[in-house]
Amino acid sequence: MPSPTFWSLVESSLTPSYTLAIIAIVLILGGPIILHFILSNSTSYIIHPQVALVGPDGVGKTSLMTLFERGDSPSQTHTSQKAHSVELNASTDSSSKYSYKNHEDTTGTHTKFLLIDTPGHGKLRNVAMERLNRCERLKAIVFMVDAAALGEPESLAPTASYLYDILLFLQKRVSDKSNNKKNNTPVPVLIAANKVDLFTALPSTLVKTNLEAELSRIRSSRSKGLLDSGVGTDDVGSEEQDAWLGEYGSEKFSFKQMQEFEIDVDVLPGNVTGDGPGAEKWWWWIAQRI
Amino acid sequence: MLDSFEIITTSGVVVWSRTYASIKPSIVDNFIADTFIEEKSGSTAIQDSQSASVNPPYKNDQHTLKWTIVKELGVIFVAVYRSLLHLSWVDKLVDNIRTIFVSLYGDQLKKPHTTIVEFGTNKFDEYFDQQLHELDKASGIDATGVPEIQLNSSSNDEPLSAPSLTYRGRNINQGGLDATLNGPSPPDTPSASRPSTPSNNNLLVAKASPAARLSRRARKKNNANTNAPPLSSGDEGPGGRSKKAPKKKGRKWDQDGMADEEDDVQLDYSAQANPLSDSEAEATGRSSALEHVDSSTWGSTTKGKFVLKDLGDEVHDILASAEASQAASSKNGSKGGLLGSGINAVSGLFRNVVGGKTLTKEDLDKAMKGMEEHLLKKNVAREAAVRLCEGVEKELLGVKTGSFESINARIQTAMEASLTKMLTPTSSMDLLREIDAVTAPPVTSLRTRRPYVISIVGVNGVGKSTNLSKICFFLLQNKYKVLIAAGDTFRSGAVEQLAVHVRNLKELAAREGGGEVDIYQKGYGKDAAAVAKDAVAHAAQTGYDVVLIDTAGRRHNDQRLMSSLEKFAKFAQPDKILMVGEALVGTDSVAQARNFNAAFGSVRTLDGFIISKCDTVGDMVGTLVSLVHATNVPVLFVGVGQHYSDLRNFSVKWAVEKLLSSS
Repeated sequence: MPSPTFWSLVESSLTPSYTLAIIAIVLILGGPIILHFILSNSTSYIIHPQVALVGPDGVGKTSLMTLFERGDSPSQTHTSQKAHSVELNASTDSSSKYSYKNHEDTTGTHTKFLLIDTPGHGKLRNVAMERLNRCERLKAIVFMVDAAALGEPESLAPTASYLYDILLFLQKRVSDKSNNKKNNTPVPVLIAANKVDLFTALPSTLVKTNLEAELSRIRSSRSKGLLDSGVGTDDVGSEEQDAWLGEYGSEKFSFKQMQEFEIDVDVLPGNVTGDGPGAEKWWWWIAQRI
Repeated sequence: MLDSFEIITTSGVVVWSRTYASIKPSIVDNFIADTFIEEKSGSTAIQDSQSASVNPPYKNDQHTLKWTIVKELGVIFVAVYRSLLHLSWVDKLVDNIRTIFVSLYGDQLKKPHTTIVEFGTNKFDEYFDQQLHELDKASGIDATGVPEIQLNSSSNDEPLSAPSLTYRGRNINQGGLDATLNGPSPPDTPSASRPSTPSNNNLLVAKASPAARLSRRARKKNNANTNAPPLSSGDEGPGGRSKKAPKKKGRKWDQDGMADEEDDVQLDYSAQANPLSDSEAEATGRSSALEHVDSSTWGSTTKGKFVLKDLGDEVHDILASAEASQAASSKNGSKGGLLGSGINAVSGLFRNVVGGKTLTKEDLDKAMKGMEEHLLKKNVAREAAVRLCEGVEKELLGVKTGSFESINARIQTAMEASLTKMLTPTSSMDLLREIDAVTAPPVTSLRTRRPYVISIVGVNGVGKSTNLSKICFFLLQNKYKVLIAAGDTFRSGAVEQLAVHVRNLKELAAREGGGEVDIYQKGYGKDAAAVAKDAVAHAAQTGYDVVLIDTAGRRHNDQRLMSSLEKFAKFAQPDKILMVGEALVGTDSVAQARNFNAAFGSVRTLDGFIISKCDTVGDMVGTLVSLVHATNVPVLFVGVGQHYSDLRNFSVKWAVEKLLSSS
């Protein structure tokens, strides 16, 4: 008999009673809370770890990004104008952990991360730096250099000055006590010496020493250089202007000095196209850092 | 013929390319750097979705590049061909490919976190080949000049499409291909051309019935036209053919005909569309465009090549629908009714506060006027301010504001980005390291040691000698041996003035244990270029590190004085030519910078600016924007006071902050 039970139900639900009041209160108070949890779980607030790909123009940053994404071969690329990110999966325990060709790999746990490619053109460095600033979970920076061109001072000087800016940015980030957030976790840097398959390419040890030598030169010339416009005479000597990369007062810069700020700098050779060691080493380095 | 055609995203990935003759990738790289990043073309800001014929072609030494960009999606379409060839149809090809590509794959480019565009089963290659083939052929016929065909095809098309929609490329092409069939006959009415391919149409009718059933207007039209049996069978053909076409249209007309690229349906034309989605599309996609596309298929069915024709139809449909929606959107803008406009106004106001508003020209116009005004107040020359604002406006047109972002805030950030990009130099400016590289070259390089030569030019009274001595002081602090050459052999007292500076600097250098400084002078009345040359030779012999050459101030529009600069540059071979510009000067700064930049002959330009007297203008540092805008030469130093030490490196951030600060 559905109708009498139905009516009796309606009736009892409208007659005031304690049980009903409690049910009503629970519904009214609990409803929004439950709804909140449902909604907050359905939309992902998770920010994937980020790895930034920086370096001067023409070294193969976009190429590397497409290689990692496509797995088999990099796409043809031209000068980038915008930062672009791709979502990738890395793992440290799967069967294909050393390789970026892991699109079909199901073993092990994979971590999603964003690889952010930045434009390398001189005029767009500020875009890249701004992008780095906005990263909330920056886990690593891959600084790409052209090992084949680094022998020339014309190429070494701009590369090193960009690297100097990046390292100084990281150093300030770590030493900046005022921003108390998670932002000042140290970020490791990989110097990816690309194009080692070419005949003129320098070995990675030489890439390292060349960059270190050039960085110490830059450091000394910057310390002797003029002040920036907008800096008043009273600001001289203040914390912000005191930009000395690495160990203060040391004569020669070496990447080891960055460990004072817990910034590890590694140099690994590789190549995106052509025959050579490939990009596996870099991939493994990234996979370990996220 | 074409050498190469590439579709590149702004993030640098080549999405699709076709190469006929291998070209150096650096050609396209340089094109991107010059056109988009450094904006060397200068004259006009880059406009979104502009036809390739309007965009200035980029000319390399051997190649010409025609291009167009869709800013919303960030795709650039580039066609490369030899400059020797005159390919009139390349513009058309670039435009058509842009339309096709955007309508087919536009939605894929919007996906975040990927660079891959899936072309699916129907390769884009085929579309491209079809277009290339068609345009190449059409241009060939066009060249021979058959006026009747033009007339015929256009009369065939015009009554069917909206008046503004005449699509020249298609007309020509259709006329060309149909020349043998349609050419001699009087202007075809649709009914006359229909029976020519009855079998084909019948076949389509059978397939198309579910779709045609639902399209009410098409059916009505059919009923009106069904007078004779053969006609009715033919008449349903277009209804059937439109099966695919309205589907494309459907999404376009849903959204007030505004956003034809904003659909998220991946279209697969090779597959048979399923009836359900068809009917949906049909139901929503009611418009005059249906008729337009219908009619366009009549003409195409008479075409000779079957395989190509099928694809050609599709391509035409895409192009025609894009045209139609464009025309419709321009029409729709005006109508809307009282209620509609009222709601629009209210939601516009709401969105203005909350954000998420799509910026239109009217929205921007007022705000941009305010920004222009602001820049003018900051002493930016009108020309530069107008161009900056135009660039920002173009960039923002059609952009959605972020949540809780007002239009003004959006413009502010866009202007900041624009200014930063303009003022940032292409390569880093480290004078000391450059000097080191020249005066103490690495052993491995085969260069010999020579002095680094800096010369300073400018208009009268801007502070050439003062800034020269400031630079000298800076170099002395870094322990260089400096020789100052008195190149001003014209104004009385100029040499003595320098001598006083040198005396002071010597004293300072001795006190601080710095470098050495001397003056090289030959008195008055001598040729400045010869003096400079002798000074450099003297410095090389006696082992100076740096030579600073002072020059006579000259009015930038005095041809006689300016022409001597070319000889000067040739004789002294300076490593750096710096121009001193006053922060005080207003609109004239543009002309000054241009004339000085051009004065050193075709091979030499300025290397940098020194902006003097910055301390006297406060926030109004607009002159440096004018200077950089006019010449694309970076600012090196800023003079901020009267003392030797009051020279600063130029900081872009500082300048942008000052320019945008409202006082």
